[in-house]
Amino acid sequence: MRRQGFPPFALWIGLTLCLVGSALSIPPGRSLIEQSMAWHMVIQMPILFASGWFLMGGVWDFSKTSPGSWNQFGLTGFIAAQFIITYWMLPISIDRAVVMPQVDVLKVLSLIASGALIQTSVSRSPAVLQLFFVGYIVSMLISTGVYLATTERRLCNAYSLESQLSAGYGVVGIGVALACAWAYRINRLKPKTEDRTEGF
Amino acid sequence: MAKNSSLAAEGLTSGAVLWKTFLASTVVLALGLIVLLQATAQGNAFTTETLRRTEVANTPSLVPELSVYDADGNQSTLRQLLADGDKVWIVDFVYTRCQTICTTLGTVFQQLQHQIQLRRLDDKLGLLSVSFDPAHDTPDALGIYRDRMRMDPAIWRIVTLSSPLDRRQLLDAFGIIVITAPLGEFEHNAALHLVGGAGRLFRIVDYDDATVALDIALATAP
Repeated sequence: MRRQGFPPFALWIGLTLCLVGSALSIPPGRSLIEQSMAWHMVIQMPILFASGWFLMGGVWDFSKTSPGSWNQFGLTGFIAAQFIITYWMLPISIDRAVVMPQVDVLKVLSLIASGALIQTSVSRSPAVLQLFFVGYIVSMLISTGVYLATTERRLCNAYSLESQLSAGYGVVGIGVALACAWAYRINRLKPKTEDRTEGF
Repeated sequence: MAKNSSLAAEGLTSGAVLWKTFLASTVVLALGLIVLLQATAQGNAFTTETLRRTEVANTPSLVPELSVYDADGNQSTLRQLLADGDKVWIVDFVYTRCQTICTTLGTVFQQLQHQIQLRRLDDKLGLLSVSFDPAHDTPDALGIYRDRMRMDPAIWRIVTLSSPLDRRQLLDAFGIIVITAPLGEFEHNAALHLVGGAGRLFRIVDYDDATVALDIALATAP
């Protein structure tokens, strides 16, 4: 049983994104993320996150069966996903993922997990709690992006300053896109959300 | 209505259900903080460069015993050079074809050389440029660079690796990451590396802070 609002092919979208995202960590695709910070942060990381989101939404409606009591209102999932995303925003983590393949494997797995966690949590939580966590992630993305795009300090030893600038603009773009996607979703699922809010 | 009541039953009815989420969230929060603190040297290093500097300041390490030659073709090892006498050395990493950051580093080293000459500190302090591009930096290329920089041989020397195979070990020992850039250039993290006490790398300072590097080196020199 798919999650409400997910198209029948969500699972296939998730699997495709998962394959594409993982392929960027394996040669020859890997050379793209090794040479360009934008390919790493703006293309690969969001693809992995989105693959987790679609896989989770496409596989099963966990809100009916999973141990929801450990994740009331999606709180636990949101907090975990937030840590994962924060971790991969750090220049030191980005460098490690480029230089150490074992860290890169952790990156792929944890970012897929973060998409899945946010998917589960969003479907359990009232709009106001979603606003808090999504708002936090969006503001973090935008402020990180602006800093990357404007600082003259090279933050990642693995990337050139030029690469960092373009990645910065891209990260701002992802922040804006995420905010729009969330607003669109909330609007589309309005009746359901209102039902939930009334339940409180 | 039925939906509402089932949601209420699932979500809000009892504190007994909520405490599980509270517990799980607290555990995740604690784990997340531990991982973040661990990854950033207790919140001190958000970039690889800061981490490298913090680690060196906390635990100085011996420079590797790698074979090098200078502009006159004289062979020795990096550790022998840097453990020579009681001098404290300020070391930078360059490649002589460089048009970007190394040019800035070259100017910083010229200013340091000037200070050392002016204050007659040449028995206490030395400057060493190490080329990480042995494939191109032959003794001749090093000689041209030496002349261009107007190096005073009593103060400032330049060497490169005898074997290109040692490049990885050299860069790892100092925490330098070199990436290739367009037009055959390299991009690398540039800084001033302070080596003293029998060839021990004990501090890394930003190349903008040459005065700080000089003060630390002087305070450490016997």
